[in-house]
Amino acid sequence: MKRFRVRAFLVALWLFVAAFAAQLAIRHLLSARTVLSPDAVIGLSFGAEALAFLFAGFLVSFLARGFAWRELGAAALSLAVVAFLVLHRMKPPSFSYDKFFADTRELFLWAAFTGAGAWLLGLWGASFGVLLGASSSPDLRFAFEAGIARTHLRLNRRTVALLVALGLVPPGLLFAAGVWTRAWDQVARARAGLSGPPNVIAAMRTDALALAVSAAAVVAALLLVGRWVQARAQLAHLAPGQRRKRPATAVMTAISIAGVAVGVWALTVVLSVMSGFEADLKKKILGTNAHALLLKYSSDFSEWKAVMPKALSVPGIAGASPFILNEVILSQGQTPTGAELKGIDPATAGSVNELPRQVIAGELSWVSEPHSIPLTAAKPHPSAQLLGDGEQYLQDTYERKQSHPDELAKGVSPEALREMPGICIGKEMSHSLRAWVGDVVQVITPLGDMGPTGPIPRSRSFRVACILYSGMYEYDSKFAYIGIPEAQKFFRMGNNITGLELKFRDVDAARAEGRRLVTALGGFPYRVKDWAELNRNLFSALKLEKLAMAIILTFIVLVACFNILSTLIMLVLEKTKEISILKSMGARDSSVMKIFVLEGIAIGGIGTAMGLLLGLASCSFIERFGLQLDPDVYYISNLPVNVDGGQFLMVAAIAVALSYLATLYPATKASRLSPVDGLREE
Amino acid sequence: MEAALPVEPSPAARVEAPLLEGRGLHKSYWLGEKEIHVLRGASFSLRAGEMASLVGPSGVGKSTFLHVVGTLDPPTAGNVLYDGQDAFEMGEEPLARFRNRNVGFVFQFHYLLPEFTALQNTAMPGLISRLPRDEAEQVAREVLELVGLGHRLDHRPGELSGGEQQRVALARALVLKPRLLLADEPTGNLDEATGEGIHQLLLDLNRRLGIAAIVVTHNPRLAERMPRRLRLHEGLVVEA
Repeated sequence: MKRFRVRAFLVALWLFVAAFAAQLAIRHLLSARTVLSPDAVIGLSFGAEALAFLFAGFLVSFLARGFAWRELGAAALSLAVVAFLVLHRMKPPSFSYDKFFADTRELFLWAAFTGAGAWLLGLWGASFGVLLGASSSPDLRFAFEAGIARTHLRLNRRTVALLVALGLVPPGLLFAAGVWTRAWDQVARARAGLSGPPNVIAAMRTDALALAVSAAAVVAALLLVGRWVQARAQLAHLAPGQRRKRPATAVMTAISIAGVAVGVWALTVVLSVMSGFEADLKKKILGTNAHALLLKYSSDFSEWKAVMPKALSVPGIAGASPFILNEVILSQGQTPTGAELKGIDPATAGSVNELPRQVIAGELSWVSEPHSIPLTAAKPHPSAQLLGDGEQYLQDTYERKQSHPDELAKGVSPEALREMPGICIGKEMSHSLRAWVGDVVQVITPLGDMGPTGPIPRSRSFRVACILYSGMYEYDSKFAYIGIPEAQKFFRMGNNITGLELKFRDVDAARAEGRRLVTALGGFPYRVKDWAELNRNLFSALKLEKLAMAIILTFIVLVACFNILSTLIMLVLEKTKEISILKSMGARDSSVMKIFVLEGIAIGGIGTAMGLLLGLASCSFIERFGLQLDPDVYYISNLPVNVDGGQFLMVAAIAVALSYLATLYPATKASRLSPVDGLREE
Repeated sequence: MEAALPVEPSPAARVEAPLLEGRGLHKSYWLGEKEIHVLRGASFSLRAGEMASLVGPSGVGKSTFLHVVGTLDPPTAGNVLYDGQDAFEMGEEPLARFRNRNVGFVFQFHYLLPEFTALQNTAMPGLISRLPRDEAEQVAREVLELVGLGHRLDHRPGELSGGEQQRVALARALVLKPRLLLADEPTGNLDEATGEGIHQLLLDLNRRLGIAAIVVTHNPRLAERMPRRLRLHEGLVVEA
């Protein structure tokens, strides 16, 4: 038993406490001085703390000449006590942004987490130290260790070629399948009378690189299969003694690589699909809504005409448009529906959202020019592309309106119709109100005048000026748009508006740009709410779902790493004699450890590379193949994918880090074998 | 660290202390409940360049003795001194470096790494001591020539005969010019003629390179040709 090194313990404790204090300080400073989101602040501060714990373990391993698990453990335990006392005194905000630590039990939990985290991360850091020879003098070289690791994994030229082939051919085939199905789809469209290439070759010719890659993959796959058949045929002719025996560890190594590859594959594909959903949702939300709203802590926003040019002069702001928002009831005949009635300026609305491009019938500008709304049924725009049975609905409604032109008028004189202000409604609302362009709808606001029996709702007739289609059911069924002057008159607001809609040059900088604008306007009573804040529930739910998915799928990689662990233990048992020989020749403990760590990382790395390629190919396949979804359920026609390089990189980092951790036990075991353990056996 | 290594002893030390000295070496193993005493206070010394044979019946603990004096296995009690310094007082890494530079082992089985060629196997101690690959292979080539295998550099152990394998093992033990060679029945697995060749080579190398050696053997003729003969008897080393 090695003695407990007090000096190492004290240094570890000091470093741990410093890391903990730094985390608190960074969190406090970042949230007070910067515009980073709370998530980013937590990520940065805890990331820094984790790195500091790792580094502390690394340093202490040199002081304690080994893993120092007892010294680090004692220091972590002391840190937990310190953390408990500090948190108890400070009562810092909890992770749910608005709650405070009130409960001592919760503090216990966090202190315990801090201690456990410090210990594990410290040990992880110490493993780097031990690997570099913390037991005496550091040695960063690993040339002969790598050579020996290579022979253990049988990474000779043949197996490397085989691995490269196995790593490239299946993803290549997936990619080829995607290219082929898309080309086939295009040809099918052409046959159905739509524009498209006449045959598959012509369809593929447009994407020469994809064609070349997929052709190469198919050829390589055929060669590989041919080679395999040949090898099997040769094997059948050999006598049993002539067959080369493969040790169990070689098979286990292959299984370990496959395990990591499958885990990484699943993780990347699922995260890419979830990112795809998120990106799609973001696109739809930002298509209908602006990036941010400029609001005021007062009901008086009559100076907006002066504020607009000021806002537009802020460099990061690309557009601004006034809006008024109120809840109303819309009805046509006997069908009422609740709605968010938004007053907009059709001239500038296009600079902050996609409304003008969402019009599928009529014109957005007609809301302020009611004279232009035709008295005969307006045709749907030919370019309108709707999901599911949407296009059919448009055609049917248009034809119905055409055959019953009297429905439009409802006994109102054409002159009176022309004077009615215009309103734009979503496709779903048009469906439920059975209202088409030119139809009259009633808008009722509960904020009416006082009568003898209480408030009397006020109502007014509008004519439908356009039908909008955003692709989000919520928006298409709930929003209606009228001109700003009409809204001001209807809600009796005078010259007031609710606020300004803003568009930024960089969506992701919305928070920072918003703050800059508020500062430029002189701060209070102005305030900016950005899209992330406005849709926090939705995006938080998505993020949580993605995180939960990532954690669950990381377990696949974790299980794969247990494969690595058992493979390495088998290898250590198989190579006990060799380890002894190397030690008798003067190999250090850390050298032996390096051999097995390198092997584990090689297994993990090869598996990760294969998994990433498979994931990438699968994403490309999903994108090109277009897996159908029911648009009435998901409001999206194909399974979306969004390949995010950062996400792939993170998955790779997690997989390699986990496989490194899996090597530590067998590698340490191997390094501690006595030189005579393997010599005694025979 | 470097200064603590007894690699280059001062002239005075060379006179006073022998190259290798065992003092009261005890070694015992536990086999279940039973403690087996292999060495019971063995003491001996070996001068630099001296060559000795070690004989004794099977199971008497000759291999254990070699492992202990070769710093592979610490004794239960007693000291192993090189140039008057206790080897097991060194830390793990200095001891490994010392072994790398000063002690060469040859075992009854060749224990070559099967995936590497003769040259790579022989270069391994050089690589372990972090010599550049070219340099390590250059030295290895020279030593392989010395043991008469200059023509079989790129053969793997599986492609060599038993005698050749043992010669490669010998070359590997000698590649870094150690001061002590410990051989554990190096010819125990070879036929007489081949074994005789290895014996001749051992004696030859001792004469030419001045390497001290302890050779464990069952072969009385080889033992007789050694300048000094030791015998392991009841856990003690006695002059035969």
